[in-house]
Amino acid sequence: MGWLPLANILHHKLRSALSALGIGIAVCMLITLTGLSRGSLFEVAQRWESVDADLIVLPRGWGDNASDKSGSGLPDRYAAKIAAEMGDKVRRVVAVFTWQIKLAGQDQMSVGVDGEAWQTLSGGKRITQGRLFDPQGKFDRWLRDKLLRGGQGDGQVLELTEQDLCDPQHNGLEMVIDSRLASAGGYRLGQTVFTANHHWQIVGIVQAGAMARVFLPRATAQYLFGNGDMTRSTLMFVKLADGLDPGPAARAIAKLTGQDVVPLARYRGMLMEKFGIMFTYVDAVNVVALVIAFLFIMVTLYTMVLQRTREIAILKSAGASNLFLARQVAAESMMLTGLGAAAGVGLSFLAARAIQAARPLLTVTITWKWIAIAFAAALIGALASTIYPAWRAGRVDMAEVLSLE
Amino acid sequence: MSNDSPNILVASDLHKSYGRGPARNYVLRGLDLTVRRGEFLAVMGPSGCGKSTLLHVLGLITPPDSGRIVLNGGEVPSAERGRNLLRRRHIGLVFQRFNLIGVLSAADNVAIWLRVRGLSPNGRILPLLEELGIAHLSDRKPSEMSVGEQQRVAVARAIAHEPDLLLADEPTGSLDSANAAALLELLRDLNRRRGQTTVMITHSPEAAACADRVAHMKDGRLLP
Repeated sequence: MGWLPLANILHHKLRSALSALGIGIAVCMLITLTGLSRGSLFEVAQRWESVDADLIVLPRGWGDNASDKSGSGLPDRYAAKIAAEMGDKVRRVVAVFTWQIKLAGQDQMSVGVDGEAWQTLSGGKRITQGRLFDPQGKFDRWLRDKLLRGGQGDGQVLELTEQDLCDPQHNGLEMVIDSRLASAGGYRLGQTVFTANHHWQIVGIVQAGAMARVFLPRATAQYLFGNGDMTRSTLMFVKLADGLDPGPAARAIAKLTGQDVVPLARYRGMLMEKFGIMFTYVDAVNVVALVIAFLFIMVTLYTMVLQRTREIAILKSAGASNLFLARQVAAESMMLTGLGAAAGVGLSFLAARAIQAARPLLTVTITWKWIAIAFAAALIGALASTIYPAWRAGRVDMAEVLSLE
Repeated sequence: MSNDSPNILVASDLHKSYGRGPARNYVLRGLDLTVRRGEFLAVMGPSGCGKSTLLHVLGLITPPDSGRIVLNGGEVPSAERGRNLLRRRHIGLVFQRFNLIGVLSAADNVAIWLRVRGLSPNGRILPLLEELGIAHLSDRKPSEMSVGEQQRVAVARAIAHEPDLLLADEPTGSLDSANAAALLELLRDLNRRRGQTTVMITHSPEAAACADRVAHMKDGRLLP
C-alpha cells in the first residue's frame, strides 16, 4: 500500500527533499546539541572519575559541589592528619590546588599537584612527550627554604620575581598539558606560553583523559594563585583501603577534620546539579526545533491534501475509507520523516566533526540512545502532524469534486 | 428481492436537490429507474437535466434526499458507511476526464483501485490489461498516454474488481471520434462477453446507439 505515498514523494522531489531536510535539521539539532551539552559535561566527569581515589575533602561551607571550586581553602595539614588518624583505612591523601587559567582561547581548570601524586591524578594516562614538571621537587624545596630563610611562617606572603620563579636551577613555571589542549592550541613540547601573567614552559604532554587538561607544580599554583600562602590547597583526594565502605569513612574524615567530605562517585551528580539547567535549555531548544519541523511537515501534508482533492475524491469514489486515506497521508509523512531522520543522523555526525574541528576542546558524544530518542520523537511528531491533514482528506466531498468535471 | 432477481438496480421516486431556500435547485424529481442484469443502458438528456446527479446517486456517491434504491437485491442504506461498502463491492465508475492518478503507472492505477477494495492485485492486472489490449501501457504514467489510452486504462480500473454495475459518466466526452468509437466498442464488448451491466450517461446519440436501451431524461425525470 506504500506505493502511492512513495510515488507522490518521488514525483514531488524538491518538495519532498525540503520537507525531509526540515526534519533532518531538527533531528540533527536534537542529536548534536544533546551530544554537545552532555558530551562536554560528561567528558569532564569522566576525567574526574578517572582519579584513583574514593573521597573528596572540601572546605566546609563551600557546598558539596567540587566542580567549580578553586583557590586556597583547605589547610594542607589535614592530609597528614587524615593519614595518621585513619591509619590503614586510608592508602593515601592527595592535596591539589585548582585555578582557572586561559589557554587555547578559553578558560581551563589547571590543577596544581605534587610530583609524587601524579599517578593518582593521571587516570593511567601516559606522558607521551617530555616529562613531568619539577621531577626532583627542586622548586618546591627551594620555595619552602626561601620561605623559612625569610623567617616567615605559615600563611606569610613572600614576594618573588619572575626571575626567581623561572630560575633554570629550579624552574617552577613548568606545565604539563593534555594532548587535546596541545592540539587545540597548537602547543608543542618546549614551547613557552604566556598565561596567568607568567611565562610557562610546556615540559610534558599527557594523553587526553587525565583529570585536568593543565597540570602545574602545586607549590607554584599555591604561591601564584593562593596569594603566596603555601599552606593551603583547594581540595584533597582520599584513596581508601580496598573494600572499605566510603560512607562511614567519609563521615569519620568529616568528623576528624571538620570539613566536608563527599564520595568521588558523586562528582558526576555534582556536575549535573551545577550545569543540569543547561540541559533544560538545550532540550527546550530541541523541542522548539522539532515543533517547527513538524509544523512544516503538517503544512506540507495539508498542502498536499488540498492539491490532491481530485485524487482523494477518486479514491473515495472507489470506496476508500477515511482510515485508508489517513494511512496514505500517514505513510507519506512517515516516509518523509524516516528519510529526514536518517539524513539528520548523518548530518549530526558531520556537525559533530565540524564542531570538533572548529572547537577541539568541545566533546560531541553521539549515542545510540539519543539517536533512538530522536527517531522516536520524529516519528511521533510525524504521526501527530498527520492528524489534521488526514482529517481534511476524509472531509473531501467527492460529489462536489466529481461534479466539477 | 433476491440476488437472482433479473434487476441489478431499482431506483424508486428519487429526489435530489441542492441549495437552500429560494435558491434551491431540484435536480431529481421523483425519478424511477430499473436496470436489468446484463443490460447496457444509455441515459440521454440535455445539459442540466440531472444526468450526472443521477449517476452520482446511482453510484452511491451522494445520497438522494428521498427515494429508495435497491442494488443487487439489497436496499441501499442512508448511512455513509453502508453506502461506501456497497460502492466498494458492487460499483465501477468511469469518468469523463478519466481521473487516473498521475503519479502512478497504468498497472498501479488499477492495483490501488483493487487495494482500496481490499482485493489483492496479484495476478489480476496484466490479464485484464491484455484483455483490454493495453498491456503495453502497463508501466506508463497517464502523462505518457494518449487520451484514448487513458480512458481504456480508466475502464480497466473500473472493472478490475468485477463490479455488478458499471457506471460511465460521459465516457466519450473528452475523446475524438476515433477514440470515442473505440471506447464504445470496448464497453459494448465487455457487456457482451462478460455480461457487464452498464449505465452510460451521454448526450451523444452516436454513443447512445451502442446501448441496448436508451432512457431519455428531462427536468429530473425519465421520459416514459
